[in-house]
Amino acid sequence: MLLLLIILLPLLGFAYLGLFGKGLREPLPGIIASTLTGISFLLVVAALFAGGGSWEIKDWLPGIPFSLVLDHLSGYMGLVVTGVGFLIHVYAIGYMHGDEGFSRFFAYLNFFIAMMMTLVLAGSYPVMFIGWEGVGLASFLLIGFWYTEKKNADSARKAFITNRIGDLGFLLGMALLYSSFGTLSISGLREALESSTVLPLSLGLAGFLLFVGAVGKSAQVPLMVWLPDAMAGPTPVSALIHAATMVTAGVYLIARSSFLYANLQDVSYFIALIGITTAAYGALSALGQWDIKKIIAYSTISQLGYMFLAVGVGAYWIALFHVMTHAFYKALLFLASGSVIHALGGEQDVRKMGGLKKYLPRTHLHGLAGALSLAGFPLLAGFWSKDAIITATLNYPFGGIGLYVAGLTVAFLTAIYAMRWYVLVFLGEYKGDAHPHESPSVMTIPNDVLALGAVFAGFLALPKPFWNLIEPFLAPVLAHVEVHEMSLGMEWGLITLSAVVALTGLYLGYLAFTRWALPKWYLTFQTWSENAFYIDLVYNVLIVNPLKELSEIWALLDGLLDSGYLALAGLSGWLGEKLAWLQAGYVRVYGALMVLGLVVMLVWGVLR
Amino acid sequence: MSYYLLLSALLFAIGLYGVLARRTAILIFMSIELMLNSANLALVSFARSSGNLEGQVMALLVIALAAAEVAVGLGIIVAVFRSRESTSVDDLAEFRG
Repeated sequence: MLLLLIILLPLLGFAYLGLFGKGLREPLPGIIASTLTGISFLLVVAALFAGGGSWEIKDWLPGIPFSLVLDHLSGYMGLVVTGVGFLIHVYAIGYMHGDEGFSRFFAYLNFFIAMMMTLVLAGSYPVMFIGWEGVGLASFLLIGFWYTEKKNADSARKAFITNRIGDLGFLLGMALLYSSFGTLSISGLREALESSTVLPLSLGLAGFLLFVGAVGKSAQVPLMVWLPDAMAGPTPVSALIHAATMVTAGVYLIARSSFLYANLQDVSYFIALIGITTAAYGALSALGQWDIKKIIAYSTISQLGYMFLAVGVGAYWIALFHVMTHAFYKALLFLASGSVIHALGGEQDVRKMGGLKKYLPRTHLHGLAGALSLAGFPLLAGFWSKDAIITATLNYPFGGIGLYVAGLTVAFLTAIYAMRWYVLVFLGEYKGDAHPHESPSVMTIPNDVLALGAVFAGFLALPKPFWNLIEPFLAPVLAHVEVHEMSLGMEWGLITLSAVVALTGLYLGYLAFTRWALPKWYLTFQTWSENAFYIDLVYNVLIVNPLKELSEIWALLDGLLDSGYLALAGLSGWLGEKLAWLQAGYVRVYGALMVLGLVVMLVWGVLR
Repeated sequence: MSYYLLLSALLFAIGLYGVLARRTAILIFMSIELMLNSANLALVSFARSSGNLEGQVMALLVIALAAAEVAVGLGIIVAVFRSRESTSVDDLAEFRG
């Protein structure tokens, strides 16, 4: 029951605010929504201390129970979702101040939390799929929150449709698993997999299809195009859904199914490759963006790529570690950006910023903490988790030296673009014409908490010989993989190397973007990067436009069919009009016709 | 026997002609009565020729029914006349297609 409450409370908030929110005065819907999310967080904590739990309806679908499970993995993820969710709810009270859709916004946010918790707590794939679709819907609603502008509505549709492609993979994967094992409960599948010595051939395909679902939701190459556009939504949405929680659902799915992927070497290797490609693509694209939120959006794609690299090589707990640190520093970066946008009255172009250090001292500190954590500045949260991922490519079963080098290179790029973001926004002279003012404390206090997380969360899992709290915590629920042990010297050597790389990147970034003497090749790269390597254009030419043409042809055919039916309808109408003439309204005429008919029948009868 | 039937057919035809050709509701009504009674005549004559009473009983029933019908029909005609000041059936032609 406790588990059900975790989901039902935010859902209740959604129903209440959705139905009656309009009548409530301004801060009230926000307070209600935040409180409910906060209670959910406390419930997750309580359930974790109580040692987890599970809840199910036996015959939900024939043979498939509706089951919720709170174990270490879902508890961990649930803490991130409701914890960061709560902070962002509070922040949004300040950010959405004065917006017409204030209560609608919080209704959607609560709906998102409910659906995300369904996804996280799901004990079987169909239940997870409900949450999976639910968060997609919430994402759609919130991206298009300011739906009166066509651009926002288009972005929302783009996100939804792109996600649909991935969802198809998820569905097919589920169907395949069901047909080969006859169960979709995650624990049941795990047992079936561990007890059977011969694995069905279709297992690899099923794993791949589930991964396709994760690719869509987590914006991996090639379905990453929706995430940058998703920034059309309000900033708290970008922070909550498109950075901290929903987009990590794909990673969660793979980690949940780790018992499956640990047996699938080829698929795992493929996941790692997609991950590193995405990481590189995101980092390269982030370098050229001018929109303050888009820089962070591309960096999110890049960081998600890192997480997939981690699950690909088999380092499931490290991926989840990165999910948490990333939730902290990325939410922080987004919320700091939100504060900046708020302070400048809606300005998002970094070329019209600069020098905000002076005007927004607290937001400056938040931005600095977030950017350094993202860049992997030694000892900050992002450093520990990202370094763990890069090192994992060497000592986890599906890794390799190529992945290591690529990962390190991307880390270098990450440091550069993080520095670029910081320099353009906070350093130099202010180039805009608004009058910046610091945000209210309802916005800065959540950021303080997040900043603490972005700085210190990494200390939960340090490399040997220090303590590591997360790996043993998650170990019972993740698949066991053979880790090749590294010597301490080697490990710390690698850590030093990645620290040096990050610092070099930061320093180079600082020099490059403060001096403003960029070489010509960089400017060419800049244009390419600004347009995200024209992927959208390529997709438009290759996929979207042919589809449009096809739909126009179908529309023509449809018109043809329609006109046929219209002609038929016209014919019967005309016939009816003519026949109506018989109904003259004179009883005598009817009588005469009756007699006529009688005579005809008589004559016919006699003659026959 | 055939004379009776001929008379019956003749009466029926006259009645039918009256129903179709007359405009006044009362005359149409009388023509209908004529048709009913022609049918009665046919029933009675068949009964007599075949020697059982069923046809005659039927004729009596038809007469009783006709009496009731007259009451209702005349009532309707009077009501229509009161509201329309006319008994012409053509004035009542309101249901046309």
